[in-house]
Amino acid sequence: MTVNRILFNMELRRNARTLVLWSFIISALIFFTMSLFHSVLEYHQQIIGMAKIVPMAAMKARGFGSINDIFSGLGFYAANNIVYMMLLGSIYAMVLCSTILLKEEYGRTAEFLMSRPISRDEIFMSKLTLAFLNIIFLNLVAGLISLLSLETFKSGDFMIRPFLVFTMYTLLLNLFFGALGFLVAVLIKRARPVTFFCVGLILVFYFLFTISRISGVKGNFGYLSPFKWVNVDVLNPVYGPELWRIAIFLVMIVLLSAGSGFIYRKKDILT
Amino acid sequence: MIPVSGKIIEISHLSKYYGRSRGIDDISMNVEEGDFFGFIGPNGAGKSTTIRILLNLIFPSSGNASIFGLDVVKDSKLIRRRLGYVPSEASLYDKMKVHEFLKFGADFYGGKQTEDRIRELAGLLDLDLERNIPELSTGNKKKVNIIQSLIHRPDLLILDEPTTGLDPLIQSRLFGLLSDENRRGTTIFFSSHILSEVQSLCRKVAIVRDGRIIRSDEISALRDKQLKKVRILFTGENIRDFPAVPGMETVQRESQKSLTFMFSGDINELVHSLSSFSIENLSIEEPPLEEIFLRYYK
Repeated sequence: MTVNRILFNMELRRNARTLVLWSFIISALIFFTMSLFHSVLEYHQQIIGMAKIVPMAAMKARGFGSINDIFSGLGFYAANNIVYMMLLGSIYAMVLCSTILLKEEYGRTAEFLMSRPISRDEIFMSKLTLAFLNIIFLNLVAGLISLLSLETFKSGDFMIRPFLVFTMYTLLLNLFFGALGFLVAVLIKRARPVTFFCVGLILVFYFLFTISRISGVKGNFGYLSPFKWVNVDVLNPVYGPELWRIAIFLVMIVLLSAGSGFIYRKKDILT
Repeated sequence: MIPVSGKIIEISHLSKYYGRSRGIDDISMNVEEGDFFGFIGPNGAGKSTTIRILLNLIFPSSGNASIFGLDVVKDSKLIRRRLGYVPSEASLYDKMKVHEFLKFGADFYGGKQTEDRIRELAGLLDLDLERNIPELSTGNKKKVNIIQSLIHRPDLLILDEPTTGLDPLIQSRLFGLLSDENRRGTTIFFSSHILSEVQSLCRKVAIVRDGRIIRSDEISALRDKQLKKVRILFTGENIRDFPAVPGMETVQRESQKSLTFMFSGDINELVHSLSSFSIENLSIEEPPLEEIFLRYYK
């Protein structure tokens, strides 16, 4: 399986604008939200007062494990980043990966592309490589802006290690949804966009994850959702990379990607 | 390299089913090196399905096919290096200019002198290379697909309804271009539902209907069949008494006195039957090719 340079370069140009736009929007959201952190500290007492009347479940649903998360730069960042990079980043990843393959079929360009001297494996690998690189780029930009935001708006020192581990988990989650996007693209029986299906599926997983956080110990069903495989408890003193979480992500990404490639090799191209 | 047998396309018992619905059913045929081969049939007959299998866009349910002696499933990449294809509907990337698209398509072959070839073909088909693809008319989109199929000078050209949307002048230029390519040695597989195109261009033809090849022969051989077009003008109105002679097909009563039909039976039997009738006029002639085709279509 090799990457075809000509197709890769074309896809690079074709997807560049969307990548820049997403990177800009997510980075701007992160930076803007983190700029509010000082205000949060200013209204410390009022927020604690509010927290007494707001159910803990609602706090958890918003991404805060406890009230302390709000007043820690890293905790505040992580809670918001659950929405920005875990949720929005995953939507970008899955829509990109499903579209990059399916677009050839509903756009009727598959007939052109597949009359060129290029194998299906090369088409799949070129698109997969480009899509995964785009996801990595988005995570890299968002990660750098996050770091910059944390440094700019921090109230005290923050631990870099939990930040890096959390960023790694987010990247793995996005890559997982990217690989899932490829699987959806090869399994779909009609040549049409699947954007709404992808967004809907991610929201279902996110909802499951949120419900499981609210449910606490009883929420083990939440592990059905890939969001739950990310450890979001960044303020935990023993927070660090956990082998089982990394392994499950890597195994699933490899299985979904390889499975999609195998199916693509054998499938009838839809037009 | 082209195999010794000279067969460029070999199709053997090829079938394609989509669930229970039929795409093509047990198609077998060969296209020889240098042929200008017509593949004709009504819409939905299975022409595009056959072509899509040859290009490995879809997989056969059973049977097999080869091009240049190579299996269309296992060796599709090798085959495509020497193949040009014009799809029935425009297959173009938007957000590109025409020239950019053609260059992109040609880059896969890595040939030299691509630029000259693009300009030569664009000039011949009167195509503006600087236009944006979404702005193109249906005919101009078709021209782009025709040009991209020819840039790398393929050994085999597969065209699926290539004249759709082209005005008569450009059609005529295209036919000239295809004839030149064929003389140069390119084998041409020309799929169409327009009889006159196939009649004027192709030396051989396969007629497909309901997913099956119902006739495959040289165009001249189709004419050689014993099929005659018979028109009888009776003197009286005794036309109803005229018996059905074996070999009479597509019988049409044009008036109370006039009968027209295609006849493929024993001419002696027909003459014998006619001898007991009083007739004013009788004509027996070679039918036009279109009528021969239509006979297969029905």
